[in-house]
Amino acid sequence: MFSGKQTKPTFKSYLPPLQTDSKKSPQLPIKKLEAKLLPGEIVVNEANFVRKCISAESCQDDLWGKLVCTNFKVSFITHNSLPRQRFQCTHRLLGEHDIPLACVEQVVTVNDVKGKQKILGSNQKLKFNPTELILYCKDFRIIRFRFDEAGPESAKKVCLAIAHYSHPADPQLLFGFEYVGKRYHGSTGERVSGIDPGGGMQTTLFDCSSDWDREIKRIGASEWRVCTINQGYFISPSLPEFFVVPVSLADQDLKQYACFFYSQRIPLWCWNHSSGSALVRMSNISDPQQQRKVEQRISSAITKSHPLRSDVFKSDLDKNLPNIQDIQAALLKLRQICVIDPFEESEEKWLSSLESSRWMEYVRTFLRHAVEVVYMLESRNVPVILLEKEDRDLSCVISCLVQLMCDPHCRSLHGFQSLIQKEWVMAGHRFLDRCNHLKKNDKEESPVFLLFLDCVWQLWNQYPAAFEFTEVYLTVLGDSMWVPIFSTFLFNCPRQRAENSRVIVIYQITHFYVFFFFFTSLLYFLRWVPEAQIPQGGPITAFHKLSVLTDEIDMLLNQLRQYKGAGGTPNSLHAEHSKMYFKATSTPHQPPAPPEYLSSSFPFSPVGNLCRPGILGSPLSKFLNGAKIWLSTETLANETI
Amino acid sequence: MEKSGSVDSVESLCSSTTTRSDRSSGTRVSDTELRSKGRAIEKVLQCKYTSKGELPLLPEELVQDSAKDVTYICPFIGPVRGSLTVTNYRLFFRCTDREPVFGLDLPLGVLSRVEKIGAATSRGDVSYGLVCKDMRNLRFVHKEPEDSLKKSVFEVLMKFAFPVSNNMSLFAFEYKQVFPENGWRVYDPLAEYKRQGLAKESWRITKVNDHYELCDSYPAALVVPVTITDEELRRVSSFRAKGRIPVLSWIHPESQAAVVRASQPMVGQNGRRCKEDEKLLQAIMDANAQSHKMFIFDARPSVNAAANKMKGGGYESEDAYQNAELVFLDIHNIHVMRESLRKLKEVVYPKIEDSHWLSNLESTHWLEHIKLILAGALRIADKVESGKTSVVVHCSDGWDRTPQLTSLALIMLDSHYRTIRGFQILLEKEWLSFGHRFQQRVGHGDKNHTDADRSPIFLQFIDCVWQMTRQFPAAFEFNEYFLITILDQLYSCLFGTFLCNSEQQRLKEEVPKHTVSLWSFVNSQLEEFVNPLYVHYPSHVLFPTVGIRHLQLWVTYYIRWNPRMRPQEPVHQCYKELLAKRAELQKRVEELQREAANRTASSSSERAGSPTRSITPVQTYV
Repeated sequence: MFSGKQTKPTFKSYLPPLQTDSKKSPQLPIKKLEAKLLPGEIVVNEANFVRKCISAESCQDDLWGKLVCTNFKVSFITHNSLPRQRFQCTHRLLGEHDIPLACVEQVVTVNDVKGKQKILGSNQKLKFNPTELILYCKDFRIIRFRFDEAGPESAKKVCLAIAHYSHPADPQLLFGFEYVGKRYHGSTGERVSGIDPGGGMQTTLFDCSSDWDREIKRIGASEWRVCTINQGYFISPSLPEFFVVPVSLADQDLKQYACFFYSQRIPLWCWNHSSGSALVRMSNISDPQQQRKVEQRISSAITKSHPLRSDVFKSDLDKNLPNIQDIQAALLKLRQICVIDPFEESEEKWLSSLESSRWMEYVRTFLRHAVEVVYMLESRNVPVILLEKEDRDLSCVISCLVQLMCDPHCRSLHGFQSLIQKEWVMAGHRFLDRCNHLKKNDKEESPVFLLFLDCVWQLWNQYPAAFEFTEVYLTVLGDSMWVPIFSTFLFNCPRQRAENSRVIVIYQITHFYVFFFFFTSLLYFLRWVPEAQIPQGGPITAFHKLSVLTDEIDMLLNQLRQYKGAGGTPNSLHAEHSKMYFKATSTPHQPPAPPEYLSSSFPFSPVGNLCRPGILGSPLSKFLNGAKIWLSTETLANETI
Repeated sequence: MEKSGSVDSVESLCSSTTTRSDRSSGTRVSDTELRSKGRAIEKVLQCKYTSKGELPLLPEELVQDSAKDVTYICPFIGPVRGSLTVTNYRLFFRCTDREPVFGLDLPLGVLSRVEKIGAATSRGDVSYGLVCKDMRNLRFVHKEPEDSLKKSVFEVLMKFAFPVSNNMSLFAFEYKQVFPENGWRVYDPLAEYKRQGLAKESWRITKVNDHYELCDSYPAALVVPVTITDEELRRVSSFRAKGRIPVLSWIHPESQAAVVRASQPMVGQNGRRCKEDEKLLQAIMDANAQSHKMFIFDARPSVNAAANKMKGGGYESEDAYQNAELVFLDIHNIHVMRESLRKLKEVVYPKIEDSHWLSNLESTHWLEHIKLILAGALRIADKVESGKTSVVVHCSDGWDRTPQLTSLALIMLDSHYRTIRGFQILLEKEWLSFGHRFQQRVGHGDKNHTDADRSPIFLQFIDCVWQMTRQFPAAFEFNEYFLITILDQLYSCLFGTFLCNSEQQRLKEEVPKHTVSLWSFVNSQLEEFVNPLYVHYPSHVLFPTVGIRHLQLWVTYYIRWNPRMRPQEPVHQCYKELLAKRAELQKRVEELQREAANRTASSSSERAGSPTRSITPVQTYV
């Protein structure tokens, strides 16, 4: 738990300020360097006297500590604290120097004396003693460790362990199966920041027929019904057990049609526009002879469901959108230019290299396509079928974007999570393959979900007040793909997920750092780059002010309520469950504390994540004469005390 | 296009976008559209008519001519027929056959060029092109009057659009609106130097330029080190280009490190030296006890500075100025900047090519120039703040790049200049009194549109300020609308503020006497220009990040004429609403408090057990 509240000593009291939050009590210095483990997490290997490199040029800022490999993460434990570690914002599951194994993209060992280098996979041998370990992460971090003072054997062992455990042979070996932590989902009384637990709003999982019934009712799709023929996954392994079909199609017919579709995927209903036009996703029909007949039947059933009996519009996604390999290639290029070293030399070409990565172009293509579908649904008032060969990648993006644009419910926090559950998780997006958790098939790897989040970010950027969540939420959601504790993003389809039911179904990934109100996804892509940071600036400063103001309004409302209720005397100034991340100061007449821990990377810290200096600097520091005094004196130095 | 902003406006976005893209299959949702955000500038293509349909004329504004049946070739919605009216201040175009009523309302001052395009068609139609200083081009088609003696409305337009070329006075000299505040009193140099905390033992205000004899482009009040006599200053003035000697611009309240501005030394090919100039710079360094060094920032690329030696100019040699370190900031000259803006206009108006948007933008180098200017200012601010060293800033003449750099550095260093009034003082001081040649750079009322002296130097500065407001949304008291208003009024010639080239000229023309100051207008309706997110941190020095990745194209200025760049609901609009809500709640709580207090007082016997607690009001920061 954290709060933006800063209690400062006043003239009246020279005693340290009272701790208002018991959870915030100062941590006693830990005597030994021990990894903080989650329930079920075990240490596999460790090495002492390891140096984490902070700067590429010099080692004076480097941190000393212990490198630990567990069955969940790579952890670096140190007594040294980084300068400017002021923000009291911590991840619930991961420490500042922790990297979940699933987030490790490549493990590279180096021996700079012998001039050798090797990329390590699982069960491999290493013929030299590594002096250096470089971890390339899926979230664009590059982390370097040096073993100059560590024992050569233990260094080798820990490298091999990291390589081995970051390449699990089987999904069963992913940490989610070992994790025996508490179940967040549905747990009552658990106060999570940003969420009102008793508010009745919860993420719908769509794993039972009543969830779908409720969704049909919410949307008012009376011509549609829940179909149960896939119970026990007898028809299709990649479809959910329950899904929605037109009332006019009988189970018998559906069973008959199923075999014509790719992987027996019967068309899935997604959503209805308020005009009654349905949005349906469909895979290709494998048998060309049956194609016309089956398509005809499905289309006419959808037409029947429409109040005006409008004909169906088919939108071929494979033809109009980039494929998954294109998307992956774009991300690789984008990563190149986002973390490219040296950063400042790429400055002049930033815009054109961004363009040549094609990532933005793809984001635009997806958004534009979604807008076209919305146009068909809304202005032309016709039902739309999203056609995709497998119906498990591109249609997830388009159907979600359409609903986000049209249905305000989807822009609430729970609405958004329910949407992801419905259109990604239950519809069988291959998270396991697309994330390449097992690092087995690189061809299947593709950041479709990240692309979707970027599209959402673009919408959010245009209409920040239309969304209940913020930029940070989207970033954390993207990161959670690499934290394999959440079954949500761990499997290829609902059946696989169900078979592995030992994994707890948790959905509150969102509760690490949630900002309630609102707020090139600079935050996602450039947050680790120290040069790209704006000290004491960025949109977060505006958000900070908004939060505080909203919180103040909340307090006032509370006071009013108390006056009305209790007939006179309010008892506590500050309501217990403030929704805001940054809270209003209840101490009056205290000058507004400049939020010096805020920067454009907040709440992420770029320190030590790209092995580059310039914690406080900017690209300028490089060509400044006497760069030593660069931003390090006075104003900023005072903050690091 | 209406401004969309409601919670459900995503729908309206989608529907309207698709409707459009359906009509003309070529249009798409553009990148910039996705990224664009900011305040609604309502002027876009809208013109507010009075309820009777009459033109709302300003005081002393007179209709000069009007014509019916003029066609405006709108690049976004196609040809529109309507009527055109020309006054001595503006151009009105109104089309009535459309809903909502479509109109154009622009001050003639924004026109840089009006020309007849091609010959008359068989139907007698003639096409006119209007090139504007504010990033748009307009095109009209009109029938030539049959009576060849009668002037066409466009000929009348040309006369009033370029009054200076036609020996007429600018509209600012006619305009007689009275505002509650007199903006000409905003800046008082002596009061400003006093506010900075000028140390009398090291600096003095000299009267040597009282009659603009030392330097006609400098202000009357100049601050120089006490150890330098007026006679020495006169010698220095013959050594510095245009007599623009090194004088104090700003002084750090604690370290006494100074920001000094000047023009280039007239070193020439023979390496001329000037004893008094060397003494002056030494004195400037000595005035700051914290440092035994000083930095001379030459804004130019070193090649340009060297080339200036051929023309008698140059830069300070290390031999002559031993404790000074010379740094070149690589900012290009006015011609390069003009060319860059011309390219930018090509890229953003009227159509934006989506598929190559980013590389096209890059090829204009506009953001790169912005970056270099900001980076230069940042280095100056850093030397003064972190290094506690005094700095001298100059370019060639010290009236273009120099005010860009000094004023940006001052905004970073001194939070006073981030307030609305402080910013006005900054412009009055660094730009107007120190002789940025507004008349030449903008070409007020002058038809010579190819004049090589025109350049968007001031626009670049405002763009840099805007970049900083993006990075520090809570550090500036003014909002984006304030910056856009300044730019619009720079061209409009409605106010006298940006007329003439120097303080001396403005006095000679009696500009303050005969015209209204822009600040009279602004300060009489401050609430329009206030950034609700503003927090006043007195000693907060801003160090913006100047990487290209953090610079954005100022879409809401450069692309505001494109109806597809509809402004998004800005955060501060929402914040304003919340502020109002808070005020309202605060009031209700206070009422209830009083009520409760009264009740407790009257029935204290009944409620003896529950003491009334006093409630501290929620603090108001704004």
